[in-house]
Amino acid sequence: MNDAQTITVEVIGVEQVTPLIKHFKLAPAAGGSLPVFSGGSHIIVVMQGAGRVHKNPYSLLGSPLALDTYEIGVRRMEESRGGSHFMHDAVEVGSRLEIAHPVNLFGLDKIARKHVLIAGGIGITPFLAQLEDLHGGSVPYELHYSVRSSEHAAFLQRLQRREGERLHVYYDSEGQTIAFETLLATQPLGTHVYVCGPVGMIKHVIATAQSCGWPDSHIHWEQFSAPPVGDAFEVFLARSKLSVHVPPDQSLLESIEAAGVEVPYLCRGGVCGFCHTRVLELDGELVHNDHFLSEADKAKAKSIMPCVSRANCKRLVLDL
Amino acid sequence: MLITGIKSKPVYAPLQTDTRGRYHLMLAMGAGAAPLLRVIAEMRVVAGPSLKNTRVLFVSDAAAPEVEQFKAATVADLQTFPSTPALLERFRAILQKSLMGTRLYVAGPESFIGLAMKIALEFNLNKDEIRAEECGTLARRVYCIHCRATTEDVRTNIVSCIGCGRWLLVRDHYSRRLAAYMGVMVDAEAPGELPPLKEVFL
Repeated sequence: MNDAQTITVEVIGVEQVTPLIKHFKLAPAAGGSLPVFSGGSHIIVVMQGAGRVHKNPYSLLGSPLALDTYEIGVRRMEESRGGSHFMHDAVEVGSRLEIAHPVNLFGLDKIARKHVLIAGGIGITPFLAQLEDLHGGSVPYELHYSVRSSEHAAFLQRLQRREGERLHVYYDSEGQTIAFETLLATQPLGTHVYVCGPVGMIKHVIATAQSCGWPDSHIHWEQFSAPPVGDAFEVFLARSKLSVHVPPDQSLLESIEAAGVEVPYLCRGGVCGFCHTRVLELDGELVHNDHFLSEADKAKAKSIMPCVSRANCKRLVLDL
Repeated sequence: MLITGIKSKPVYAPLQTDTRGRYHLMLAMGAGAAPLLRVIAEMRVVAGPSLKNTRVLFVSDAAAPEVEQFKAATVADLQTFPSTPALLERFRAILQKSLMGTRLYVAGPESFIGLAMKIALEFNLNKDEIRAEECGTLARRVYCIHCRATTEDVRTNIVSCIGCGRWLLVRDHYSRRLAAYMGVMVDAEAPGELPPLKEVFL
């Protein structure tokens, strides 16, 4: 993926759906249709901010059958590095944005006998599109949606209207919690569980499913990490013969791109593994923040996912 | 025509306990009892004497010595069946009511394993929920790609199809959905010219 392959879209609708979440509708600036996608897909939105470019992944939440617009939901992050604030503060109806083609890293299992969807907060977005795929089908499913309080329950009316009894909502403000153990210990054979939400929730669902005897092939999750901030460091790109400075609030990938070197990527959130880069020399330690490399590979320090990971080092040489 | 070296041919491994499973469903036919008894002994070491979530379905004469061995191993639920179809019918009924967390162990001839796997696949059991150990005859179920009949208990390199009578070459190309190896007409280009008949799947 690189910027030459992006699509220019125009914002045709902006709605503040909760105090923290805005819902955007994007239409192709050149007219016509947008590329086909399946439920669970995300796009990268390229934002030309003041003095820097943000590229953030957002799940598509509209119907995969309606390709005249894409819909995304953006939560204003407290510790934003700029992307979500840019979307909230600078983007309005009529704004133009560049987006990359949709990629699905969170698809539904096609031969599952049942689907259990678990969402926390903004984690509802990929499920909204998946529900469009599930809605007319014969495979049973249920959605468990945990929110802070009713005012933070994004897209709730739309879900209530369409999903009826298949929707279970839990309000933190009322002390309601999902009974994960009971839920996961009682599912029929051939069920798949999908979770998207805060990292603590994802870890808890995975651990509970495993303790109930679920095999990994039936457990699906998605969490895009925002690249964490860290200390500044220098990196040398061996093939490009370039030295690049990585400032504290810019990711390694962003810094390399700003220096004019392209790195293949799909998710920019430490999930897909596309930006996997070989480490040729290291005097110090890598700070791995991705969900892609195994613990063993992280310990070897022979490769890095520059979209979210950094280094504490005197010298780092990458095979780029 | 490619006969061997085909990737779809299933690979089996000695059965091992999967301690991450919550329920253990075990199927055996004939010599398959021995691997199951081995796994049960292994489980007892890990899980203690209680095997309350372990169930054994066994194609065997009720008077077979293995039946006593299973009983001695205090498996909570042991059922014997006079035939593979009878066992598979019960297996399907159990899967209807089974929960996530179930692990399947199958031991016996490949045709028995294949038929069990075919049903497991309908219930969306994945590789990480199934273990299978092959023991006993290598006789194959062969699916005729011309008339779609399945010929059972094939021990030879070529076989006359039970459905259409064509001479079929038995390939290593295996279908999990059909639980059978593919049989392709061997003398289509030169009618009547057959390779020597050899017993190869014993």
